[in-house]
Amino acid sequence: MAIRVNPRFIDVVARFGAEDVQLCYHCGDCSTVCPHADEVFKFPRKSMRSLQMGLEQKIETTLEPWLCYYCGQCSEQCPREADPGETMMSLRRWLISRYDFTGIARQFFKSRIIEVLAVLLTALLTGIFLLYYGFSGGNIHIYDGEGAFLPSHFIHKFDLSLGLLLAIFLVVNALHMWYLTMVKGTTFTVPWWLYFKQLYQLPWHFFTQKRYSECESKRKHPFFMPWFIHLGLMLGYVTMLVLVMVFVEQLQSGPAIRWSVHIFGYLASIGLITGTIYFIRNRVKKNYVQYKKSHGTDWVFVILLFLIVLTGIAQHVFHRTGLYEWANITYVIHLMCVVPWLLRMPFSKWAHIIYRPLAMYFAAIYIDALARQEVVVHSFPVFIK
Amino acid sequence: MKNCRIGVYICMCGTNIAKIVDVEAVANFVSGLPNVVLARTYKYMCSNPGQEMITQDIKENQLNRVVVAACSPNMHERTFRSALRSAGLNQYLFEMANIREQCSWVHKDTKEATEKAMALVYSAICRVELHEELESMSVNMCPNTLVVGGGIAGMTAALELADAGNSVHLVEKNNHLGGNLARVDLTAPYLYSARDLLTERLTRIMNHKQVHVYLESKVTDLTGYIGNFKATIQLLNGKPAEEKKSVEVEIGNVVVCTGYKEFDASRIVHYGYGKLPNVITSFELEKMIRAGCIETKEGKIPRYVAIIHCVGSRSQEFHTYCSRVCCMTALKYASEIKSANPACYISDIYIDMHAFGKGHEDFYRQSSEAKTLFLMYEKDDRPVIHKASPKDDCEMLIEVNEKLSGETIEIPADLVILMVGMEAREDSHEIARIVNISQDKDGWFIESHPKLEPVATTTDGIFIAGTCVAPKDIPDSVAQARAAAARILARIAKGKIEVDALYSEVNEEMCSGCRFCNQLCPFSAIEFNEEKKQSYIISALCKGCGVCVAACPSSAIKGRHFTDHQILAQVDGLFCEIGM
Repeated sequence: MAIRVNPRFIDVVARFGAEDVQLCYHCGDCSTVCPHADEVFKFPRKSMRSLQMGLEQKIETTLEPWLCYYCGQCSEQCPREADPGETMMSLRRWLISRYDFTGIARQFFKSRIIEVLAVLLTALLTGIFLLYYGFSGGNIHIYDGEGAFLPSHFIHKFDLSLGLLLAIFLVVNALHMWYLTMVKGTTFTVPWWLYFKQLYQLPWHFFTQKRYSECESKRKHPFFMPWFIHLGLMLGYVTMLVLVMVFVEQLQSGPAIRWSVHIFGYLASIGLITGTIYFIRNRVKKNYVQYKKSHGTDWVFVILLFLIVLTGIAQHVFHRTGLYEWANITYVIHLMCVVPWLLRMPFSKWAHIIYRPLAMYFAAIYIDALARQEVVVHSFPVFIK
Repeated sequence: MKNCRIGVYICMCGTNIAKIVDVEAVANFVSGLPNVVLARTYKYMCSNPGQEMITQDIKENQLNRVVVAACSPNMHERTFRSALRSAGLNQYLFEMANIREQCSWVHKDTKEATEKAMALVYSAICRVELHEELESMSVNMCPNTLVVGGGIAGMTAALELADAGNSVHLVEKNNHLGGNLARVDLTAPYLYSARDLLTERLTRIMNHKQVHVYLESKVTDLTGYIGNFKATIQLLNGKPAEEKKSVEVEIGNVVVCTGYKEFDASRIVHYGYGKLPNVITSFELEKMIRAGCIETKEGKIPRYVAIIHCVGSRSQEFHTYCSRVCCMTALKYASEIKSANPACYISDIYIDMHAFGKGHEDFYRQSSEAKTLFLMYEKDDRPVIHKASPKDDCEMLIEVNEKLSGETIEIPADLVILMVGMEAREDSHEIARIVNISQDKDGWFIESHPKLEPVATTTDGIFIAGTCVAPKDIPDSVAQARAAAARILARIAKGKIEVDALYSEVNEEMCSGCRFCNQLCPFSAIEFNEEKKQSYIISALCKGCGVCVAACPSSAIKGRHFTDHQILAQVDGLFCEIGM
């Protein structure tokens, strides 16, 4: 069955950052230097081709963009400056918008103004709501305990309801991703038990990002810093998310420091602050090929995260040093950053924290199933007339 | 042969010959032969000191025959002949023995190779003894030229010749000059206007005193030989044959620039040309562009345009060759359509993108930058065009097995442009017969040498240029036209033309007038004298191939420098017993 070409697709994805894909003439250098391309997943060339040709149905069902961690070697090698690395990045952005059932992600990626306005509006609403709540029952001079401006049990409930909303979006989008890649995009049926057999892939890739560390394996002088910092940032982020969702009441109690909880907060903060500064610096300096082209959403991502960490640390310091008014004010600002950030999660680059390990997991299942498929085919005698 | 004083020179060719052949032994053997005055060996006979050695010896030892045993005569016969000339000796009193290609390069055993070298040298000596002094002949060169075909090549050649002050007769079949280029809007890759390229030439030709333009005319006959042709030009004018006026002109040379015609796209059923209204050929698109409006038959502006390459070219069924201009022309269309309608999506369906010329690769890149969708199909796995269903947003759907992705895809199209290839004109065999040149299997005229003589033909005085030789683009056609003109101008400047002394002669006393040779001569050099009832050879046309010599039942024809005596002496020499 012939696949229908959508000639307008290349223009659609150009809005997501793939501006040079039309230059590619398919020499295949990119797939040769790529440490991850293999027999089954022949990216980036194949993805470049599908994109050029406007094979939208093909791209929405592919896992390939998720298997790339953007080391940038393909873009360095490309004789036509078609920037395969950025193309894969753009496809990831497009896929995030494709998985997203609400259509919000698409708007964010396509228009920086909409995204910034949405962030500002959410921040403003959050600020108004928190100030209203604080002043209606609390005292700006009290940070924790009785009569606190923003009591920790309230924040906990606030966080959990946000988390629930987030989880709903993410789970639905992840299911959509599963449907597209594993049902619609797979020509054969995948045995159900493979999902259990390969389950270990999920935490393994989530916590180690091992594949990212392999990105540099084909280089003469491997450079592991991006992987290391990225891992630190991600682990810091996850730790902080767990702290905020589960232990926020212990975190906010004071004035004594509870080391059993706070130590994790400190470690996470180090990871986050180092990571955000490192990535902002790279994006400003355009040191490496993968940071040369920053999409609007990339900037919102790092800057917002940086502000969250900064205000988080500031309110902690103010709290411990007894400047409760300042602690409350920075806390409000902190939450004004956190809420849009969290609400933006399923519709933004951030979602790759879920999609990537899922893609590794699905890819492992796919490869396993494909190998079985071939065995089954060969186990029947084939008569050639 | 009495009074023969032969000098024999054996070349070592560095080590090429000396490594296998014992050149000193050959020299020793030769020096003992009768009539051989001296035998020398030398590292490189073809070098200046080597040639000087020969000249010196001729003068000092009164040599009257020279044999050089070295490489192939193709390589250095001219070199040594000129050495003879500079010593005042007739250049035909020379013979070469090829002991490199025919001996040292193909043998391993020194003893056997040396024996063979001796035999070869000995046979050359036997032959050279019978050589005669021959003088080359010269004929007058008429400065007028006939140019057949008024396209860009013909016009260029005509102007080039006329600007040098020579009279040119330019014959064109149509009622206007310009040929296929006049049907084109812009040219690839620099997007110069074809009209601009032509107008300047057209006005100059029409006003040029030396160019006589014959529109709606045809060359119907050509007689004579180089420098002295007579051509008959017939005016067509749509009148019945008996009323047609004809002119006879005297000319020295002919340039054939009859061009090409485009492939008939309806021969390929896959594309539905002639059935689907919006499947058009490249020339039909040119017409639209020149009219200033690219639209479908229904008068709509196309949103999707597909361009299919290699229509009639590069396939076993139709033409196996590449038509060379279509790839860049297709890119030109992409650029022209895009600039007329930037919202239009263009798919370019090709087999291979041939972007070999100056500026072509950049043009290809520009087209990629403009987001032309390049799709590759396998040779002989042609795309198929269907009519789209009413619910589709396009006129047609093209199904392609896309090679780079390995997918079978469907491309929407409102307008399909078929890049029709070039083929030889159906009447090209007529002109080939009239001017006596050959055609290859595809009908293109054959050049005298594909690399070194690209505009000359095997008939002296007949030149070919442009797309009647093979598909080519404008710069190549112009270059060929100018090359042909330059060749002719050089001959006109000389005033006379030297004819090689190696032609055949008919012995009138022995000729019985059977006319066997008349039909056999591949160069039409033999004519029949009705009065004497005998054949005679036009020496200016004869190439000395020897067909007539072999065929003549009365042995009346002698091939100069290849007489029976000389050849038999050479054969005898080769089979002579040589003891080492």
